[in-house]
Amino acid sequence: MDTILLYPVIVPLAVGFVMLFLPRSLGRLSQVVALMVSVAALVFSIRIFRLDEGAYTWTVLALDAFTLDLLLTTQPLGSFILMFAMGFGVLITLYSFKSSASVRRINEYYGSILLAIGGSAGILLCDHLLFLLIFWEIVTAALYLLISTGGKDSNFAATKSFAMIGASDASFLLGAAMVWALSGTFVISQISLATTSALPVIAFLLLMLAAITKAGAMPLHTWLPTGGEYAPTSVMALLPAALDKLLGIYLLIVITRGMFVLKSGGALSLVLAIIGVATIVIAVMIAMVQHNLKRLLSYHAISQVGYMILGIATMTPIGIAGGVFHMLNHAIYKSCLFLCGGAVEDATGTAELEELGGLGKRMPLTFVACLIAALSISGIPPLNGFASKWMVYHGVVEMGRTQTGAAGVMWPLWLLGAMFGSALTLASFVKILHSIFLSRVPDRLRETKEASGLQTAPMLVLAFLCVFFGVFYRVPLRQFILPALGAAEETEAALGSWNAILATALLLIGIGVGAIVLFVSAFAKQVRSVPTWACGETQANDDMIIPGTHFYKTVSSMKGLKQLYSVQRRGHFDLYDQSGRAGLALTGLLRWLHNGVLPVYLTWVVLGLLLVLLMLCNIW
Amino acid sequence: MNAPLPMFVAIPLVAAFVLPVLKGGLKPVATLLANLVTLTLLALAVMSVGKTGTYAMGNWTIPLGINLVLDGLSSLLLLAIGVISAAAMLFSVRYMEQYTAKPKYFSLFLLMVAGMNGVVLSGDIFNLYVFLEIASIASYALVGFGGEHEELEASFKYMVLGSVASALVLFGVALVYANTGSLNMAQISATIRQIGMNIGLAFALSLFVAGFGLKAALVPFHAWLPDAHPSAPAPISAMLSGVLIKALGVYVLARLIFTVFGVSVPVAWVLIALGVSSMVIGVFLAVGQWDFKRLLAYHSISQMGYVVLGVGLGALILAREGDPLWASLAILGGLFHLLNHAVFKSLLFLASGSVEMATGTRQLKKMGGLVERMPYTRATCAIASASIAGVPPFNGFWSKLILVLAAVQAGFYLLAAVTVIVSLVTLLSFLKVQRYVFLGQLPEDLERTQENGGFMLGAMAFLAVLCLAMSLLVLLPGLRETVLQPAVDVLVQAGTAPAAVVAH
Repeated sequence: MDTILLYPVIVPLAVGFVMLFLPRSLGRLSQVVALMVSVAALVFSIRIFRLDEGAYTWTVLALDAFTLDLLLTTQPLGSFILMFAMGFGVLITLYSFKSSASVRRINEYYGSILLAIGGSAGILLCDHLLFLLIFWEIVTAALYLLISTGGKDSNFAATKSFAMIGASDASFLLGAAMVWALSGTFVISQISLATTSALPVIAFLLLMLAAITKAGAMPLHTWLPTGGEYAPTSVMALLPAALDKLLGIYLLIVITRGMFVLKSGGALSLVLAIIGVATIVIAVMIAMVQHNLKRLLSYHAISQVGYMILGIATMTPIGIAGGVFHMLNHAIYKSCLFLCGGAVEDATGTAELEELGGLGKRMPLTFVACLIAALSISGIPPLNGFASKWMVYHGVVEMGRTQTGAAGVMWPLWLLGAMFGSALTLASFVKILHSIFLSRVPDRLRETKEASGLQTAPMLVLAFLCVFFGVFYRVPLRQFILPALGAAEETEAALGSWNAILATALLLIGIGVGAIVLFVSAFAKQVRSVPTWACGETQANDDMIIPGTHFYKTVSSMKGLKQLYSVQRRGHFDLYDQSGRAGLALTGLLRWLHNGVLPVYLTWVVLGLLLVLLMLCNIW
Repeated sequence: MNAPLPMFVAIPLVAAFVLPVLKGGLKPVATLLANLVTLTLLALAVMSVGKTGTYAMGNWTIPLGINLVLDGLSSLLLLAIGVISAAAMLFSVRYMEQYTAKPKYFSLFLLMVAGMNGVVLSGDIFNLYVFLEIASIASYALVGFGGEHEELEASFKYMVLGSVASALVLFGVALVYANTGSLNMAQISATIRQIGMNIGLAFALSLFVAGFGLKAALVPFHAWLPDAHPSAPAPISAMLSGVLIKALGVYVLARLIFTVFGVSVPVAWVLIALGVSSMVIGVFLAVGQWDFKRLLAYHSISQMGYVVLGVGLGALILAREGDPLWASLAILGGLFHLLNHAVFKSLLFLASGSVEMATGTRQLKKMGGLVERMPYTRATCAIASASIAGVPPFNGFWSKLILVLAAVQAGFYLLAAVTVIVSLVTLLSFLKVQRYVFLGQLPEDLERTQENGGFMLGAMAFLAVLCLAMSLLVLLPGLRETVLQPAVDVLVQAGTAPAAVVAH
């Protein structure tokens, strides 16, 4: 009985729940308490990580038919992710202190953050499927409350998010119940179902839907961009960018590697690979043409999940390790990007790319953090995004080499899609960097100030991690990921082909030489700098700005793509909109039947009675 | 031990006839007295938990006289009636200031309570019919209490359909008497097990299913409810949706089918069909509604479907002589959901009343942003919404979970899927409520909206705490064994061992 396992779960949940109902006058107190609790959770999680083996059982419900135990154990994978999840919790709580988003309904905001933290800890430690589901839904509800604290129209975004994730939670419940009926137990570590008949496959698909929806992959992905546009950015950085990814991919690994025995290269890994690559390519294509910073980042948050799913779909040790590593890296750089976006929005009051520009000199720290994270997400060596994408590519090639199923044979397709997606990611971040930090400053933004230290510190910590995990990528792999997956030797061997430290050294030397050349040439030749002569006309500053939003107009006006983009913009590919329309049609039909005329209602009663008579009297 | 059974009927009945006398300056006394009565009934209900007993009225012997019977199932219902009527009465103290003739209202309210208590305690089907009529007629009057056009129309529709149901029930009672020669449930049950079902009894059972199905508002007998429940004053809506359709409808159905007629496969399928159609049709009607209380009323239909589905599933497993373990799980889910629904639906109606009183409208589209103005009403409403949508750790989650697990274990994967999907649509429609009422932009004309404090908030807070605390009813073994399990056992044992029921 290691009660320490209970603390990071129970303490944030209990404190967070109480906090939801506090009056507004206690807002400051909530802030401080939330920070204290999140730090405490981080400390607990580090101690849990260093615990060799621990288990905690508390029988919550014991019926004759089944028992429900709060069964917490330290699994290597779960406890390593737990540590990072709690770390993100602390960083975001700190960031929120200065963020404008958390001012309205302050108690609800911090209470929900604690609920999200506690729920995540529960998911990562729990070994009982039903309790996993309970924590899973608590995190969903926390996301709903957090999004709803945003400004205007956030109520719509919150509703959509809860509806779509709620749908996946429903499929989780159904899947969990089916797993129970098939295997007779809820204890995850005791379940091992062969996926050879229909029922286990359906159960697998139901659970998979829950996992990938939380992570934000297609087809139930549209909550993410809507949420991203209206929710406070700190919320996006905490949940969809970091925790939801960690949890979704964690669950995907639990079901693919533990609860279900998948045939490598079989139909199910083909399904995963298709979802992965389709998510990468389609989401990045949409992201490229967005004009709103938060929406653009959200589409990238979808696109990047594709790499993680693809890595897991390869069913090779290096691919899976790459997927997990990418999950971690993504949480780091995407969180950082959202925080930068939030800082820019706080400082300028807008997230529309067309209205921004030239902030590089005015917000240097934000610029540096954003630059590093942007290069990292685009997979530029030697940053961390490259290291994990490299491993995923490796896994895909490996799959083609060793597996004979349909998924294995089609490996060039997966590789092509993944690399194509990476290139487009770079393209769209060039657009972001140009639009926000380079180009000319619009007159309105001349007085913009750097964000406060409480906001820049979390961004810089995350940017530093991007560099560190890229250059010394063996450290996180050896320390956390490989032991957690139990696939050390072969993967280590495959990693030998990329020497990040040497590459970094060469890069730095290259940059140094370039700097010297620049420096020397600046002295060697006097250059005169004068304003552009425009035939004596004076041009307004704002007219001279070249907005980055025009960069990829050629893509969005390409034949064929143009039509697809416009259909997508109208929401025809959005399952939420489509099922909403279907539901309303059904409701309309039913309401038409309820016309309020008494004789009609009496007729129903008589018909109903006749049916009952038919069923009950005929048979006896 | 003899529980004070007649008191459950006698106290509210006497009080109901005393209260209208207290006019003018004595109104506060009437209010106090009415609240005292409901609190006493709640205390009596809590004391009766875990006990059984019978009481012969006037000491007449059974075939001649009538008797009251208390067992696990009836004490579960008594508890629900006690809790909800206490909360609704407390809420009425301030809410009913908007109406005139408060003592008359209290009098009708208590008559309805007396009728419901009588129905769940009665061991005699004709006596049950009498109490059914007392409760029904009081509720017709209460639905039309506002006296406006819409309310009177709703009340009239409710009365016509309700009278049809009563006629069906009365006809059924006559048929049963003709075929068995008795009106006492235990004796009827014994006779039926001796002579078996004949066509007359089957006809009577069909009439009961239709009649009580109408009282329970099961599809296709539901048409009166969406008019009647929203038209009543909010505390009465809470009583109607919270307990009346259960005590007069589902309880009697379960009692008659399990303990009197005995379960069989066709009747179990009838229950399941009624349950599933109510769940699905009710929820899809609800999700498109823009009237707050009407939306809630449609959800009552849908949620009663869950209860009937659970009970029907249990009946089917028992009738097929399957494992009683799973039958008891299904019935536990159904009955627990009954209790849960009583609490969270009453709370939702009270919250809707509080919102209506503060803003003067029930239209979702005319509201918005009330979280700023009415934080406590919002908090209680959010808890109730989470409960009805099955968000853990609130009570609705546990009962739905048990139902889904029972359905899956019995091999009805499709039914489990329907249950889960209906739950999802329920979630959607309550997200809609939250979105349009409490979140979003505050319209200009509502900027001066005031939170309702005092008794109204007290009643809502009481029910909100119950939404969370009632999870313990199933989680804590001690509570489960005394409250829920006896009720489940009544039905399961009646389904498995016919002899056990005749004991009382």
